[in-house]
Amino acid sequence: MITVNHYLVLSAILFALGTFGVLTRRNAIVIFMCIELMLNAVNLSFIALSHHLGNLDGQIFVFFVMTVAAAEAAVGLALMITFFRNRESIEVDDISMLKW
Amino acid sequence: MPEWLVTTILILVKLGFVFFLLLTGAAYMVLAERKLLGRMQLRYGPNRVGPFGLLQPLADAVKLVTKEDFIPSQADKFLFFIAPGIAAVTALLTFAVVPFGPPIRLFGREVPLVICDLNIGVLYFLGLSSLAVYGVTLGGWASNSKYALLGSIRALSQLISYELSMGLAIVPVVLMARSFSLTNIVNAQAGLPFAILNPPAFLIFLVSVLAESKRIPFDLPEAENEIVAGFHTEYSGMRFGLFFVGEYINVIILSSMVTVLFLGGWHGPLLPGIVWFFLKVGFISFLFIWTRGTLPRLRYDQLMHFGWKILVPLALVNVIVTGAILLLLNPAKG
Amino acid sequence: MTAAIFYILSAAALLATLMAITRKNPVHAVIYLVHAFFALALIFFILGAPLVAAWEVIIYAGAIMVLFLFIIMMLELTPGEAARGPGWQRWAPVILLSGSIVVCTLLLMTAEPQAGPGGPNFYASPRDFGYGLFKEYALAVEIVSFQLLFAAVGAFYVGRGERTRRRARGDER
Repeated sequence: MITVNHYLVLSAILFALGTFGVLTRRNAIVIFMCIELMLNAVNLSFIALSHHLGNLDGQIFVFFVMTVAAAEAAVGLALMITFFRNRESIEVDDISMLKW
Repeated sequence: MPEWLVTTILILVKLGFVFFLLLTGAAYMVLAERKLLGRMQLRYGPNRVGPFGLLQPLADAVKLVTKEDFIPSQADKFLFFIAPGIAAVTALLTFAVVPFGPPIRLFGREVPLVICDLNIGVLYFLGLSSLAVYGVTLGGWASNSKYALLGSIRALSQLISYELSMGLAIVPVVLMARSFSLTNIVNAQAGLPFAILNPPAFLIFLVSVLAESKRIPFDLPEAENEIVAGFHTEYSGMRFGLFFVGEYINVIILSSMVTVLFLGGWHGPLLPGIVWFFLKVGFISFLFIWTRGTLPRLRYDQLMHFGWKILVPLALVNVIVTGAILLLLNPAKG
Repeated sequence: MTAAIFYILSAAALLATLMAITRKNPVHAVIYLVHAFFALALIFFILGAPLVAAWEVIIYAGAIMVLFLFIIMMLELTPGEAARGPGWQRWAPVILLSGSIVVCTLLLMTAEPQAGPGGPNFYASPRDFGYGLFKEYALAVEIVSFQLLFAAVGAFYVGRGERTRRRARGDER
């Protein structure tokens, strides 16, 4: 019997893995992918709770999260291209000064 | 015979039928294209193998299978190996939701002529067509060759851009049919096809579909005189064959999507439904070949400008106008 | 049966995520992450959200990840030498993951629809979803669409090339 707790645990583990990736990786693109992963873990708990409570609002929220993720990907990747043009690298350690 | 067994057998029979039809269709599409292009250029086209060159596809297949299967030494072998498969399989799977005829009565039971009537069939089609990008891209990247990489980058940006206008052109159809299911969409066109009710959406969809199929005038990913053969530069033998067959299956699939979404699917006077469906698909496929024989290739910046500055805004306006008209015709209650 | 599918899918999602965050080559990371999104999409499908599952595939796997792939390939961020050695063993996880996801998809497609595990027998049809979204959350939809517009403008502004910038300043020739 799968309860809502199972889904929440899975979501928590995925979120933790995403956080781990953000903290340990240095490639900005991979960090970005880990952020998408964390957003997805959140989506999972939204949907699980929406199913558990028989309420549609959770799914609608996932829709908004996805739009935010799409917007974020567009702007973030544009930033990364600009950064690469200036520094020939996208390691986050090279951006630590926030100026060039 | 138990009920579930009959259902399973019916699904398998339909699956086999569609599979056979698609593969032979794709093979003879190649022949038809070469013949028609030949005629358009005042040549004969292939006519040596068999009567009227009808066995040419078979000869081509034998040649491709017996050729050496070459893998570049620096290639990412697994991805190189799997990429043509992704391209062909995503094309094949799409046909699962395409209804190719009205329900028929068989052994006293209603058999819908569609493998799986998903209630979100349109989204299934969009999802698979967005996954088809991976085959091309990973193939080009894994070859570890600059021409292949350039070709796959071009393919990526082109497919993302035109998928947007394709999706936006489908929205009015969903609005008019009030359903995501392709069967319901066909049924909603029993009177007038959507191509007549909403010509802008039809034209936008047709152009985007041409771009999705990566054919002239949108064949920049494999532009021969610029980047050798684009993403499949390093492919040979049967792997190249898979990309090639995938492209033609894709043409058939996209033609049948045009038919289902805009030309009323199997609806038509006199002839039985299934014949109408294949006639319409054949006509749209012919249109694809005709464009190839007629138009020159676009330049890359022209392609991007056309997609983002003309098609997408036009499709957005069309969505708004269609929605407004529908709302005027039957005002929402409450 | 749904329980077994759930466990297979969550194992697949976890494995794919683990592989994704440990790969050296960003392209390989993208491939694993796409697998993770597929597994998640199927879990959404079990949870009675077919529409969200479809978006997960179309938006995340089909658009956002493709965009990442585009950037990675355009900037040539991959290590120059492709790793050699037996390709099959290195890619065994991918085969395992794709295999389990395909099997689960087939099982789910043949299983009784709307048979949700636990909880109420909850299934959101596209119609219900649309009513909920555009009736109760109309304002939020507007705000989000503005956000998309801002993002498009922002991406265009940030990503414009050196030449456009020079032209804007007026010192081209």
